[in-house]
Amino acid sequence: MADFLMPLHDLFFWVSEMPSSIAIRESLYVSPYLTVSHVVSMCIFAGLIVMMDLRLLGVGNMRTPFSEVQRRLFPWQMLGMGMSSVTGLTLAFADPMRFYVNIFFWTKMLVMVLAGINAMAFHFITYNSVVKWDSAANTPFGARLSGALSIVMWAVVIVSGRLIPYNWFQNS
Amino acid sequence: MLLPFFNWLNGLPVSQAIGSSIWIYPLVQAIHLVFLALFAGAILMVDLRLLGVTLRSQSMAQVARDARPWLIAGFLGMVCTGIPQLMQNASREYYSEYFWYKMYLIAFGLIFTMTIRRKVSQGTESSPASKVVGLVSIMVWGSVVVNARLIGLFT
Repeated sequence: MADFLMPLHDLFFWVSEMPSSIAIRESLYVSPYLTVSHVVSMCIFAGLIVMMDLRLLGVGNMRTPFSEVQRRLFPWQMLGMGMSSVTGLTLAFADPMRFYVNIFFWTKMLVMVLAGINAMAFHFITYNSVVKWDSAANTPFGARLSGALSIVMWAVVIVSGRLIPYNWFQNS
Repeated sequence: MLLPFFNWLNGLPVSQAIGSSIWIYPLVQAIHLVFLALFAGAILMVDLRLLGVTLRSQSMAQVARDARPWLIAGFLGMVCTGIPQLMQNASREYYSEYFWYKMYLIAFGLIFTMTIRRKVSQGTESSPASKVVGLVSIMVWGSVVVNARLIGLFT
């Protein structure tokens, strides 16, 4: 793997040797059911994020003011985020070395960080002017940009997550 | 009874082509999940409204009408990406119990969504009836997702 990941190698390897990590890895059913739960959590999180992004783009849920969509869906999005994080972290904890050498895993992690930055940027910049466009027929450029970036980035996260089992580029 | 059909499907040149490419099947699978997110979001937003736990300042009918185009788009996207996956794998999936559970649940979910759920979501305020419908909808479509993921894990 790339050199800049080397500092993480020891951490991932250390985790992989922990008895609890080995126990989950060697169990027949824990990982499959975690995978299933991870997909269900993804539906809650990504589904409601997309519903909000469509509103930002000005193409969906236009009968509801944006701030209303954002505020009301937020707790459910966070529930989905919490569930995906717990199931995802446990999956990574159970087999760290499998993910360490996986390009799709790192793509997913990187794009998730970028999506987080996009959400923060929207929240601290564009959202400040929400009163001006909350119920307007058109959303401002900043809102549309954030919405489009969010949809694209979460789609990349989903796609790269699904591609993790197909490690075409493994060379370690 | 359907086995000859599944074998025929599996034997089609298109199905063989999908199976022999390393990229097509995984990418179709991945795009299937992107449409799943769209579909799930459109379902969940309305179901949560039917349960009376979100977007209460808007009527159920309004939330449902806004969600409908995305619900349909998400479903069609999943059909278009689901069929190639089945074609490539038909002879194997025929013997998967999860595949059949998924199909029965989708059939039930579709009928339920287009009849009872559609009728109930035309109301304004959530009621005990709408709460039951919202809960049933979440459970049925959630079970579709669970069984779908199990096809690949235990077949």
